[in-house]
Amino acid sequence: MTLSHPKRPALLRLDDRNPLVPYLYLLPHAVLFLIFIVFPIGFGIFVSLHRWNLLSDQQVFVGLDHYRSLFTPGSPEARFFWKTLLNTILFVVITVPLLIACAIGLALLLHKPIWGRGFFRTVFFLPTILAVSIMGLLWKWMFENGSGLINVILDQLPLLDTVPFLTTVGWAWVPIIVGTLWWTVGFNMVLYSAALAAVPQAYYDAAQLDGAGRWAQFRHVTWPMLTPVTIFTAVTSTIASFQLFGQSHVITAGGPLRSTQSVMMYITEEAFTNFQFSSAAAMSMVFGLALLLISVFQFRLLLRDTGRGAD
Amino acid sequence: MVQGITRNARLALLMVVGLVCGTVAFSQVQIDYWHGFTGPDLPVMEGLVAEFNETHPDIEVTPQAIPWGNLFQQIEPSVAAGRAPDVVAVNEDVITGFIMRGALAQITPEELSSHEIDAERFYESLWNIGTVDGAVYGVPIHSVMLVMYYNKSLFEEAGLDPENPPQDREAFLAAARALTVDSAGRHPGDEGFDHDDLAQWAVGVPTPWMGGTIAYSVAAQNGVTFVGPASEDYAVNFNSEGGKEAVQFLVDLVDEHQVSPANATEQSEIDAFRQGKAAMNFNGVWMLTQYQNQDGLDFGVAPLPNLGTGDYKVWGGASYLVMPMQRRGDPEEREAALTFISWMTQAEQNLKWTAGGSLPTQPAVADHPDYQEHPMTAVRDALPDTYILAGFPFVAQLRAAWDAGFEAALLGDKSVDQALDDAAAEASARIEDGLQSLPPRD
Repeated sequence: MTLSHPKRPALLRLDDRNPLVPYLYLLPHAVLFLIFIVFPIGFGIFVSLHRWNLLSDQQVFVGLDHYRSLFTPGSPEARFFWKTLLNTILFVVITVPLLIACAIGLALLLHKPIWGRGFFRTVFFLPTILAVSIMGLLWKWMFENGSGLINVILDQLPLLDTVPFLTTVGWAWVPIIVGTLWWTVGFNMVLYSAALAAVPQAYYDAAQLDGAGRWAQFRHVTWPMLTPVTIFTAVTSTIASFQLFGQSHVITAGGPLRSTQSVMMYITEEAFTNFQFSSAAAMSMVFGLALLLISVFQFRLLLRDTGRGAD
Repeated sequence: MVQGITRNARLALLMVVGLVCGTVAFSQVQIDYWHGFTGPDLPVMEGLVAEFNETHPDIEVTPQAIPWGNLFQQIEPSVAAGRAPDVVAVNEDVITGFIMRGALAQITPEELSSHEIDAERFYESLWNIGTVDGAVYGVPIHSVMLVMYYNKSLFEEAGLDPENPPQDREAFLAAARALTVDSAGRHPGDEGFDHDDLAQWAVGVPTPWMGGTIAYSVAAQNGVTFVGPASEDYAVNFNSEGGKEAVQFLVDLVDEHQVSPANATEQSEIDAFRQGKAAMNFNGVWMLTQYQNQDGLDFGVAPLPNLGTGDYKVWGGASYLVMPMQRRGDPEEREAALTFISWMTQAEQNLKWTAGGSLPTQPAVADHPDYQEHPMTAVRDALPDTYILAGFPFVAQLRAAWDAGFEAALLGDKSVDQALDDAAAEASARIEDGLQSLPPRD
């Protein structure tokens, strides 16, 4: 076995039996992972524990002060952080089901061999490639209080009144949610279209023989067969929705009364407008932790569902 | 073979010598210049930089236009990384913060005099904002102000003198009533006047940021200084009687006087003014070109009326050319940067810059014969009365709180009292944070 290199110890062997081999395969990823994931998190924790100034040599250690003020009722940090976090959660809770339902709906409609199917698929997918600033400006114009297209139409219709979307708490979410839906639903739709094409026709034939109607066919054949894609779209849409920034920034600038400001917008404001990097870092850590918990919960929920589907 | 190598080596040597000689002969100092003039003033700025490069063959300025918000985010990281540009344009609300956090280099008195950058040339209120404790960090390049645009045709129809727009509260309210008409032709105060069905109105009071800027001006006219001096830790005072009176007056324009539509936004008011629905529009001097390009809009520009109860004041802003700290200071580049800053801020260049919508930074330009044809000469006399929120490192926090307070009062979310007291408490807490996080100054 060791005939060719009798003196070479195990760690210096130049073949696959070297015990270092598995680690060497992991090394390229580990280097990137350490530099771009582990180090920034560690550095973020360091920043959040200091009164950190980008250009100063000495950083004052303040311990958990910035975390404490996030949990001190009445401090502006606590007020706006939790308010914007709740805003963001509201956005997620509304948009994620819509993004999934509309995507399935569109995919089902375009699954049938109707006339112009390719054209419509392209049309629904097209907004996905737009930059958020363009999409935002477009929907801001559409929903503008006085001169927006929606209000001009509402004004012309009998019995309907114009709605000051951009300055009314509550209504201000409408342009953001409609815009987001229009902007991103095409991507999920393509995923569902591909998944639908993979459902064997035999299942439907069998279901029909058993007397299943259209709803029963969807409930017992289509929906379970789409579960893997649903898990994927639910997780990716949730994460993307939690990162809400550009839509609110462009359409409502977070207003009125900070009611559409997302937590990412507030953290950015704290860091780059107020130049409170440490406080912003502490908020990022708390937000990251919250996101982690939500993701774990979501994964468990959905994995349990697939487990059931496999029974 | 050996000969071949020698010949190649000789050739290479020649090329290197040639390159070195060439660089020495045409040695040009390269400097980077970042600015945020991305609107209609962009071509004017690029034209000025091109002119500088043509007239200064030994310096090559590479300009880069970055939207203000992004630009400000990049300054400190670029300084920390040792890759800061040589010259940057920054605004009045952030310059003091950058100075106090150590991001900007001081321009020494020797450098000021050797490059002919004289404080006396500029409006004093503008110049002072570029300094901290007498040390100079920035030179004014750009000046803006809140003004009143008004529709001359609508003024005439309402029987008002289109050459004599209102300039105090009483005249303004009288004109505003005459200019506000519902779809049945009734004016505010008339029997059956329908505020929800306006065919034409005087002026909209929008929500932040523009609404906050208008309210800021009226509060300043009521004598509000917003914060106390540094010695009093910048104690917030905008929730004083004067501040509340100003906000109440603007809220009343909508609810009480009914000369403003409810739920105005800055954009809806711009659109309404362009369509001839709003007779007046309070906005910055930078809107001039947009309104000039509107077909069939016969409008005038006047100072924002004195809607307050005290001396005339109005919101103003300014931009400054500054030099970020360099990790390895290159004296040649610093010289070139100073030459550029000096040239750009001279009267001749400032006069050209006003074509992009800026106001003069210095009396010599305001009084220049060529400037007298400019539509903005109407507001020139108000220039010394601009009340610029600057000179301390938390303008952003203070303005955010003020704007939020005004918005809460205007939208009826809180009473004026409550809204401004809450906003002042918020601003005080933020200023306390800001004071704590400032590095000690030596």
